[in-house]
Amino acid sequence: MKSYVAPLYLLVFLPAVVFLYNIVPKKLRPVVLLLASYLFFWSISGKLILFLLISTFSIHHFGLWLSSLQEERNRILAETERPKRKAVKAEYIRRQRWVIFLAVCIHIGTLLVLKYTAFFGQNLNSLLALAGVDWTWKIPKMVMPIGISFYTMQAMSYILDVYRETLKPDKNIGRLALYMAFFPSMMEGPICRYNDDAVSLWEGRRSSVQNLVFGAERILYGVMKKMVIADRLNIMIKTLYSGYADYDGGMMVVAAIAYTCQLYMEFSGTMDVVIGSAELFGIVLPENFKRPFFSKSISEFWTRWHITLGTWFRDYIFYPISMSKPMKRLTSKARKKIGNHFGPLIAGSIALFVVWLFNGLWHGAGWHYICFGMYHFVLIASANAVEPYTKKLLEKLHIRREEGGYKCFRIVRTALLVCIGELIFRAGSLRIAMRMLKKMFTDFNFRSFTDGTLLNLGMDKYDFLIVAVSVLIVLVISIANEREICIRQKLAEKKVVVRWAVVYGLILFCIIFGAYGMNYTPVDPIYAGF
Amino acid sequence: MMKEQIIEILEDIQPEADYETCQTLIDDHILTSLDVLSLVAELEDEFDVTIPTVEIIPSNFNSVDAIAAMVERLQEEG
Repeated sequence: MKSYVAPLYLLVFLPAVVFLYNIVPKKLRPVVLLLASYLFFWSISGKLILFLLISTFSIHHFGLWLSSLQEERNRILAETERPKRKAVKAEYIRRQRWVIFLAVCIHIGTLLVLKYTAFFGQNLNSLLALAGVDWTWKIPKMVMPIGISFYTMQAMSYILDVYRETLKPDKNIGRLALYMAFFPSMMEGPICRYNDDAVSLWEGRRSSVQNLVFGAERILYGVMKKMVIADRLNIMIKTLYSGYADYDGGMMVVAAIAYTCQLYMEFSGTMDVVIGSAELFGIVLPENFKRPFFSKSISEFWTRWHITLGTWFRDYIFYPISMSKPMKRLTSKARKKIGNHFGPLIAGSIALFVVWLFNGLWHGAGWHYICFGMYHFVLIASANAVEPYTKKLLEKLHIRREEGGYKCFRIVRTALLVCIGELIFRAGSLRIAMRMLKKMFTDFNFRSFTDGTLLNLGMDKYDFLIVAVSVLIVLVISIANEREICIRQKLAEKKVVVRWAVVYGLILFCIIFGAYGMNYTPVDPIYAGF
Repeated sequence: MMKEQIIEILEDIQPEADYETCQTLIDDHILTSLDVLSLVAELEDEFDVTIPTVEIIPSNFNSVDAIAAMVERLQEEG
């Protein structure tokens, strides 16, 4: 079970767990989910499950430790006179910060060691060679348990929410364990929050007919995105990115657009399978995508793409930095000196820089990932900086932002900027990314579109037609969703014959047009690698 | 009195809004995240409170009434 669209997962594991979940008594249902989750984890990462178990026990302990400190503080505060309360609070904040520090060291430390040792080692060795030192560090080979980036972020949000006292720590370690390991979201997210999701996970609600139907439909839609579009584009993308030197700038544009399309279909398709799988158990997971390609700016794009990662960074990195005491002082002083617009921009940009640095690094240990983060930082920060001037210019030109042509222009511009970012993201290294970008701008021509090059990349006319029709289907559904029309609800209101015809049609579409078999290499779950 | 002071701060930060009636300052993007940074810094100076990160949620900043209620609550909590 290397992916959520593997036949073993979709046709054996998931139906078996749904069946078992619904036949056992209510009390045992969360236990079934927990055991199934550990089995799923074991099937991919084997004995590395120890990392997950240690992480669960440790975060449970830290939560209870913080809670005992908070209770102790409240007892003392109740017996303390008002003027002395500030000192008591400060002392307990200090103690709690030590607990948080320890938790961060253990959890983030483990992630850093497993994920970034190789990157750190390679850079260290390059620096040593540059300095003429005749010694290299033999970089130890690290193994990574599946989903470590995701469950570590969930563990961190749990402990930070307990610290902020927006969450009571859970004494029930089983509930915490299921929150950390729930198999549909374990490998690629969405990154859940304890307050929003843990209770419903542990509730053990029986699956309703609607849960089963809606869940299965959502899974089917996700499979279609992944198998028909993402997997079909895979050969062409591999050819273009590995042999970029042989192609001109026109093909680099194709590489950027095709990979962006593949990434969206693969990741959002997997999210459909994940959210649909949870729905089969009556569990509602948070959405990770909201039609990102309707965004009118890069900052809006990141509120619609990988939403749970963005909100995690906003809540635990952006606001804590921009709202820290030194930053507040900076904002206050800067406002008085350089005005309302640029004043808060300094603190905001510093926090934004850290967010995008971490966002880049979270995606992988490589300079091109850092560059990917910095690219978005520059785009968002510069858009913030020039905002008043843009506003004035548009007023002078009598252009309304939310209307007609200008709105379309903004949507297309955002999509193109995203494609450039994804090219940097997909390229094997920063050097390759820069070469590909250079080609795009200095060696662009339409010749390779007409001389047969395009049809020699592993996709023939038939492949292009299937991808185009499938993308059109996704576009129509997305437009309906954007207008708040729920297709599954509409379908449920139709006659049984129509409903089954649509479902069978979609199944047949996946079977006939899915890119599988000897001539295709399905794309690996991209986000599982992060 | 507090509300008037808050309106004054808001008008200084972002003059283009009707703060007396608006109930959707955040939801309708009238105040941006950068405006919120300014607002928090000014509220802390003006009312001698500390606004922790957990309070930075739309419901606390959507209207002058909500902002005033948050500041009053934080003042009481000391």
